[in-house]
Amino acid sequence: MADPRSLMPKRAPDGARLSRRGFLVSMCAAGAVFGFPKAPLAAMDPGAADGLPIEAAGGKFEPAIWYWIDGEGRVNVNIIRAEMGQHVGTAIARILADELGAAWEDVHITHVDTDPKWGLMVTGGSWSVWQSWPLYRQAGAAGRVALAQKAAELWGVDVAAVTVENGEVRAGARVAGFGELVRAGITQSFTEEELKALPLKAHAELKLIGKELAALDIRAKTTGETIYGIDAKIEGMVHATPILPPTRYGSTITAIDDSAAKAVKGYLETLALDDPSGTAPGWAMVIAESQWAAMKAAGLVKVSYALNEAAAGVDEAAIQAENLRLVEDEAAGALLESGNSDVAPVFAGAADTFEASYTTQTVLHFQLEPLNALVFLGEDGVWQVHTGNQWQSLCLPWIQTALGVAEDKVVMRSYMLGGGFGRRLNGDYIVPAALASKALGGKPVKMVMRREDDSAFDSVRSPSLSKLRMAFDGDKKVIAMETAVASGWPTKVMVPGFMPKGTNGEAYDPFASDGADHWYETGAQRVRAISNELAEATFRPGWLRSVSPGWINFAVESFMDEAARHIGADPLAFRLGQFTAEGRNAGSAPDAVGGARRQAAVLARVAELSGYGKTDLPADTAIGLATTYGQSRSMPTWVGGAAQVRVDRATGRVDLQKLWIVVDCGTVVDPNGAHAQVEGGALWGVSMALYEGTEFAQGLPRDRNLDDYTPLRMIDSPPIEIEFVPSTEVPTGLGEPGTTVVAPAIANAIFAAVGVRMRHLPITPAAVLAALKAQG
Amino acid sequence: MIEFKINGRAVSLDIDPETPLMWAIRDDIGLTGTKYGCGIGLCGACTVHVGGRPTRSCITPVKDVIGAEITTIEGLSPTGEHPVQKVWRDLQVPQCGYCQSGQIMTAAALIKDIPEPTDADIDAVMTGNVCRCMTYNRIRDAVRTAAAAMKEEATNG
Amino acid sequence: MLRSTLSALAIAGVLAAGGFGLYAYHGALPAITAAERPQFAPEVIEQGRILASAGYCATCHTAAGGAPFAGNYPIVTAFGTIYASNITPDPKTGIGSWSPEAFRRAMHEGVDAKGRHLFPAFPFDHFTKMTDADVDAIYAYIMTSVAPVEEETKAPGLPFPLNQRILQAGWKLLFVDFGRYVPDETRSEDWNRGAYLAQGVAHCGACHTPRNPVGAEIKSEAYAGATIDSWTAPALTAANPSGVPWTAADFTAYLKTGAGVYHGVAAGPMGPVVHAGLRELPDADLAAIGVYLGAETGGETGAPETAPALTASIAAGQPDPAYRLDQGARLYASACASCHYNASPASVSAARPDLGINSATRLDDPSNLIHVILDGVAANEGAGGTVMPAFRGALSDDEIAAIAAYLRADRAGLAPWPELAAKVAALRATVTTH
Repeated sequence: MADPRSLMPKRAPDGARLSRRGFLVSMCAAGAVFGFPKAPLAAMDPGAADGLPIEAAGGKFEPAIWYWIDGEGRVNVNIIRAEMGQHVGTAIARILADELGAAWEDVHITHVDTDPKWGLMVTGGSWSVWQSWPLYRQAGAAGRVALAQKAAELWGVDVAAVTVENGEVRAGARVAGFGELVRAGITQSFTEEELKALPLKAHAELKLIGKELAALDIRAKTTGETIYGIDAKIEGMVHATPILPPTRYGSTITAIDDSAAKAVKGYLETLALDDPSGTAPGWAMVIAESQWAAMKAAGLVKVSYALNEAAAGVDEAAIQAENLRLVEDEAAGALLESGNSDVAPVFAGAADTFEASYTTQTVLHFQLEPLNALVFLGEDGVWQVHTGNQWQSLCLPWIQTALGVAEDKVVMRSYMLGGGFGRRLNGDYIVPAALASKALGGKPVKMVMRREDDSAFDSVRSPSLSKLRMAFDGDKKVIAMETAVASGWPTKVMVPGFMPKGTNGEAYDPFASDGADHWYETGAQRVRAISNELAEATFRPGWLRSVSPGWINFAVESFMDEAARHIGADPLAFRLGQFTAEGRNAGSAPDAVGGARRQAAVLARVAELSGYGKTDLPADTAIGLATTYGQSRSMPTWVGGAAQVRVDRATGRVDLQKLWIVVDCGTVVDPNGAHAQVEGGALWGVSMALYEGTEFAQGLPRDRNLDDYTPLRMIDSPPIEIEFVPSTEVPTGLGEPGTTVVAPAIANAIFAAVGVRMRHLPITPAAVLAALKAQG
Repeated sequence: MIEFKINGRAVSLDIDPETPLMWAIRDDIGLTGTKYGCGIGLCGACTVHVGGRPTRSCITPVKDVIGAEITTIEGLSPTGEHPVQKVWRDLQVPQCGYCQSGQIMTAAALIKDIPEPTDADIDAVMTGNVCRCMTYNRIRDAVRTAAAAMKEEATNG
Repeated sequence: MLRSTLSALAIAGVLAAGGFGLYAYHGALPAITAAERPQFAPEVIEQGRILASAGYCATCHTAAGGAPFAGNYPIVTAFGTIYASNITPDPKTGIGSWSPEAFRRAMHEGVDAKGRHLFPAFPFDHFTKMTDADVDAIYAYIMTSVAPVEEETKAPGLPFPLNQRILQAGWKLLFVDFGRYVPDETRSEDWNRGAYLAQGVAHCGACHTPRNPVGAEIKSEAYAGATIDSWTAPALTAANPSGVPWTAADFTAYLKTGAGVYHGVAAGPMGPVVHAGLRELPDADLAAIGVYLGAETGGETGAPETAPALTASIAAGQPDPAYRLDQGARLYASACASCHYNASPASVSAARPDLGINSATRLDDPSNLIHVILDGVAANEGAGGTVMPAFRGALSDDEIAAIAAYLRADRAGLAPWPELAAKVAALRATVTTH
């Protein structure tokens, strides 16, 4: 069988280069003719300029499905996670290579396509490294053990005398590369139990973890060679862009008039899509010979709808009003496990109580690569989906239902993501592309959404409301706390089966309530999470970088400051005092060793680092603190944040002068990547605190492009000092925790600077001015 | 027929003269390093060089570049070894990388015009390029470092 | 008594009409065949090519997408649309049967071979200044080097009685000084050469001089600036609002390259004047025009980098963390600064133009600025080879108005333009012929 790569055209005569993936797929679609395998080689190696993964040569040893070693000693690590800038493939490969004892230069990665054998395929929640840590270490250990065993057999030595390090297997004077041993034939296999029982290296023995290494995906990102979903192409494809209905749900197409579009060169037709899966109701799809023609034509096609009047009448005020109603309704919502939750008598008998509410506006993902998908029916009867996606396991069933096919009839290829941030967890955008392809008989349809449409149907971070109360005894000691949080729930709308049950039997969305169950000792504590069904009927709430810890910590950490001041305490001392690390806040192995003690440590350290309480700052300038844990009690990354701001009394502008972030994430696998994630996450926090936000109007987000939706730009980016606490605990997540401290730290700094308390995000100059004015 | 040069090669396209250059580059010519981010000239992901000047190709109709010389990220250096690209790798600037073609093209032109840019200069020119992963502080460092490296190279011949 | 006065008046009227008739009437000149044309020396043909370029004849005599010089380019005047005639050497529909004398008469007197008066949309009031030799050279170029194209010229869309060509005679009588250029002995040779070219073949005043209600240039306001095709042709006098005064060298560079580093680029109707036009002139001639126009504007050669308007604009263009407070400043920082920012006066260049000193932000009329924001500057105009992208489909009227207002107030430091958003909307709807 010929190697398909040898037939790959380097450059077509006119200089246009057919994408590697496009060629590969088309080659395999014609596979029967040339005798190539029907199921195409797929997947992607972002470290290769053409994206193609390596193929095993000279033999193959696969100790676990997570990787193989070939006869040339190359180690190919299979990655089920989506690459969206967190260099996840490099991090996971490093974990495996370290335990295995491979030489880093022999390591390659493959972002695999969907297959049931991989189990749950999802990238989010800041889970990847944390979840992969035990799995890939075991896999690496298995390889190490098998290689040592093989060498021991071949050389007739005791396996205890064999070392496996840096790609070499040694015993005394004898040495062999991995390839040599693989070629000699390794047959050892491991059961699940055996894998789990393998001895792992001690932390001090790890050589690659924590070292500076260039991430494998970076080179291609500096040359324009990286292949994102939007770059996918295949011979014979048509281009498409959707025309969206006026509401996310419930509006149906009554007529399509494309007479004006017919004049557009390259325009083909407009399809009304019928979606059996209910994921994307009411969409029309404009089909054309070029992306430009499709977009130009889409502006000229007139579609009439039977409008979902109710949804079209919903605006941000209505959603927030509903949040308020829900929070005030004591009977509404799920109660979370929080220890002693019988707060009512404590509040009733308290010497003093304090209460405050906090709201956040709608936030768009605005990932820079607009949503897109290329879908077609392969020659082998399997539908192929080419796109960047963060939760293959979630959307494959929707696609199957939409297409009316069985599970084994849809496969999703892996592409690099031009930004995920949680938007691509919701693979709804794939369904219309699949339906369009089906309507055209399986012809390849490449759908790219116009930016304004991407925004209109974004799975936004829902507008939210958090209400907190605290009770104090006569000595100003905290004796009870109650938190109620209301918003549209993404998990309820998209994966209801993922929702655990609260203590009152009601299901709750962890991604709409995490953060409320903090690690402070507050005596009795009641945490209630309520789903906003008006929001859920109007739009598809999404998981957006930092999810609920992002907005709930704005509330909790602003509130802790307010509560402290209420009783005349210093906000830092007050918090440290409540971090008793006792009972349920003591933490647990392996993921939350130390509990609140570690959170107190990062808070104390960031206070020290920032000079909080010590430096003499000019007028209207102050430092504010906050501490959080992300993303959940089961996987806490401890974060302390400090923000120094100066408030301009004339304009209300908040000048963020500097940020300090101290992170305890256990073991730091990839120091450079860790720094990058915390920095990027922190700046997301700044952006959501001060610069970006929109509102629902007539059932859709009002601001849809960069002229009126204004995320953080370079000039808005302050100096950030980041410090990691040295640790050998298990590695916890980093993609999101950095975001969660920033908004409250800024709000607390504003209060310290000019005495006004901002309880709504984003904090705008107009709002600050109004607050200053009201202050008098 | 719309005729211009791209990365040193002459092309002739039979397309709607109003086609934004970005789509012509991506779809008709097949170079996908130049990206679609916002379509209204406000994110810079589509930045190419026209006559050596950083230009937002998503709002430049191809009829306006007839006869012009265009450079895309693929043409900045045939081997990807432009000093800016090297520094971008040394400092591990890209995260998702989608904006970085535009960032690099803008940075390369910036350093040519202003060989010793201050942070204010960098902010002024690069603020037009959005990075949703927010790698801004690293980009700033990289521009400063690349400028120094290119100046060093220039003075040492 | 009254009767004799009346009859005297009537006779005077008849005599005057007769006199006018004599003045106005021109006979047809005999047609000639191609074989009957004179032979032309190559130098003369080349001279003609250069002069035809300097007069950018093709720009007005070529329709969009049409064959060069074949006419039917619509000239929109206040009185209606006039279609430029076919001046290819096609004998039937063009000027292929015109003798050199006929061509000279057209250029010098505004009368065609058939004896009909030409509408002054054709600037014979300028071409009248050209020497015979120069006019003959253009004739030579057209007859030998321009492809004949059969294309009937459309009738002018003028209402009666304005479409009566004979009335042009009256207009000419009132407003035109016919005759060759007469040097001003008090001025230098260069100045006179420049004046000859500018007043003659280059017909600068045709756009840059305001016109009276019947469309004649107001001689007392020569070069005071005027509106052309919904753009503004700025004043070429000391009243020019540029932040840095135009010098002779500035004009020369601008007319050669299309870029005035401290003033702006040749866009809109001025684009082809440079790029399909004046830049073909030899350097000495461009220098001479520079001298002539430089004398009009009175710009002294100094260090433009020190011009107060420039230092003020550069300072105001420094990156401002408070940019979000103003929509115009925010949009400018996001869309424009990457190309237009300058660290100091020293880095201002044709490729990195400062907008605060640019005539587009300093004219009383914002039209030029709005046009450029809406539709950009193509590679075949402006500085040549580079482009300014087009925000027509990207930004709303309010957003473009905000950017314009920001530039006007913060960078140019001048009084605000009124009703900007309405102005943008109006220009957005205007279909220009350029």
